[in-house]
Amino acid sequence: MAIVALCTLVALCASVVGGLVIGPTPMGVGRVVGDLFSHVGLGHSTLSPLQSTIVWQLRAPRLVLGLLAGAMLAVAGGTYQGVFRNPLADPYLLGVAAGAGLGATFAIVNVGGGVATPTWTPLLAFVGAMVAVLVTWLLGGHGLRSNASTLILAGVAVSSLLTSVQTYLQQSSSNSIARVYIWLLGSLATANWHTVDMVLPYVVGCVAVCVAAGRALDVMSVGENESRSLGLPVQRVRLIVVAASSLGTAAVVSAVGLIGFVGIIVPHIVRLLVGTSYRRILPISVAFGAAFLVFSDTIARTVLAPSELPIGVVTALVGAPVFVVILNLRRRVLQ
Amino acid sequence: MTAVRVRELSVRVGSTLLLDGVSLDIEAGTWCTIVGPNGAGKTTLVESVAGLRRPHAGSISIGGQPLASLSERQRARAVSLVPQHPEVPAGMSVLDYVSLGRTAHHGLFRSASASDRAVVDSVLKRLALDPFAERDVLTLSGGERQRMVLGRALAQSTMVMVLDEPITGLDLRHQMELLELLRTEVNECGLTVVATLHDLTLAGQFADRLVLLDRGRVVLDASAAEVVRAPELGECYGMKLRVVDIDGADVVVPVRS
Repeated sequence: MAIVALCTLVALCASVVGGLVIGPTPMGVGRVVGDLFSHVGLGHSTLSPLQSTIVWQLRAPRLVLGLLAGAMLAVAGGTYQGVFRNPLADPYLLGVAAGAGLGATFAIVNVGGGVATPTWTPLLAFVGAMVAVLVTWLLGGHGLRSNASTLILAGVAVSSLLTSVQTYLQQSSSNSIARVYIWLLGSLATANWHTVDMVLPYVVGCVAVCVAAGRALDVMSVGENESRSLGLPVQRVRLIVVAASSLGTAAVVSAVGLIGFVGIIVPHIVRLLVGTSYRRILPISVAFGAAFLVFSDTIARTVLAPSELPIGVVTALVGAPVFVVILNLRRRVLQ
Repeated sequence: MTAVRVRELSVRVGSTLLLDGVSLDIEAGTWCTIVGPNGAGKTTLVESVAGLRRPHAGSISIGGQPLASLSERQRARAVSLVPQHPEVPAGMSVLDYVSLGRTAHHGLFRSASASDRAVVDSVLKRLALDPFAERDVLTLSGGERQRMVLGRALAQSTMVMVLDEPITGLDLRHQMELLELLRTEVNECGLTVVATLHDLTLAGQFADRLVLLDRGRVVLDASAAEVVRAPELGECYGMKLRVVDIDGADVVVPVRS
């Protein structure tokens, strides 16, 4: 466990350095770090004004947003897998993606594309995501009396309905299809400090709640009835965990679009490395998810520079082989 | 002192009445086994006592406290459960599994205290599980696994333990071992046991008292010796039963008609 935590921390630091240093404008680590310190009043930057702007206004907010999004999606995926006792659960299970997709598409298609989009798209994506989860929760068993499988089925139904409406809106406005499509694929390209400010409180609060739920999720691994007999208020725990995961995911998705794969694969990779206890899986997933998304974003924005690959493509292309390698390594160790 | 008091308990699922006006008083430090044919309502009754089913009518009290007035945590400190088909999570160690029994004592946001760890250590020793403490739960045999589930329930340190067919799937030796362990807890620690068993011979040998249930109603509530000899027992099962005395133990034998 300690070795895995240390390796994850090293990977996180490496991804942070890579995210700041790697790019079409080459800059040394020391000079970039010096520039960052100069922005908080410590020392002087040795970078040119243009380089300093690239670091502080482009790379740094993109890096921080990537860290926040990766951490949130990974920990939300882990908590969903625990609370629903379903290895296929991801943060989009209860309709967050479909609701956000519909909200964002509505903003892009109806509110006017150009000038209004940067304001309205995240706002309506967030509202759409939260409304979708709320409807799922109510349909899935009238709030506190819901059970896991009913909620999952309600999530499938709500997602299907919202996706069909979103597809209709998208197809009915052919001149917006490209913008909608780009949003759906997810990207950190539009990150700025304002976006970071908006997302930060949600992610910090929701990640804290999810990580604190680790012990409860360990108890829930014996099933609902046995958990209740052990003194766990199952429905209350589920409500808190689902609310925190959904709120944090909605905030992230509204800022960066639908980045796939992180929420489902990172907790599984971490589980293979540290075992099945959520008290270990969740905190490690926070750091691993953050490092993984920043690393993927660095690849996405550099491999075809000056154009960018959709980050979801990179998370799948990098994540799937990593998962297979770890799975095989673990199988060999167990044999 | 009455440990479990059930009054006019009715449980309904949809339009089906699973329990119909059941009343029981179980003294502290005694063992009461619920017997009866399939569909009699045995599991429903013990799940209700464990607080897992909401009654349609009637009430249940544990140690004088109405079950309905207790929070989940308070209930888990009063009644523990050994389910018929326990879920055993892969990758969890025996120590962690038994420690789950302390959840209601230390809560969800505090680590286990020294006294929690002492209780778990004592349970592991009493059930001879300490050599397996670090092993993955899935590597245990059926008998060891069932001892581990019993260990989790004992770690809850409750006044009442509810067991639903705890010896299902165990061979004869492991059945006897588990029931002996439980009997020791009743005799030496004052545990109150409410169990369901299909094996009438073992039920008669280990329990202080048998309650015969049929179609959701109590048919007989008496000492084990009285119930195994009562004609109602065979009538409930719809067959002829004979009781043979072997070395002072009543053995219930079904007879082909």
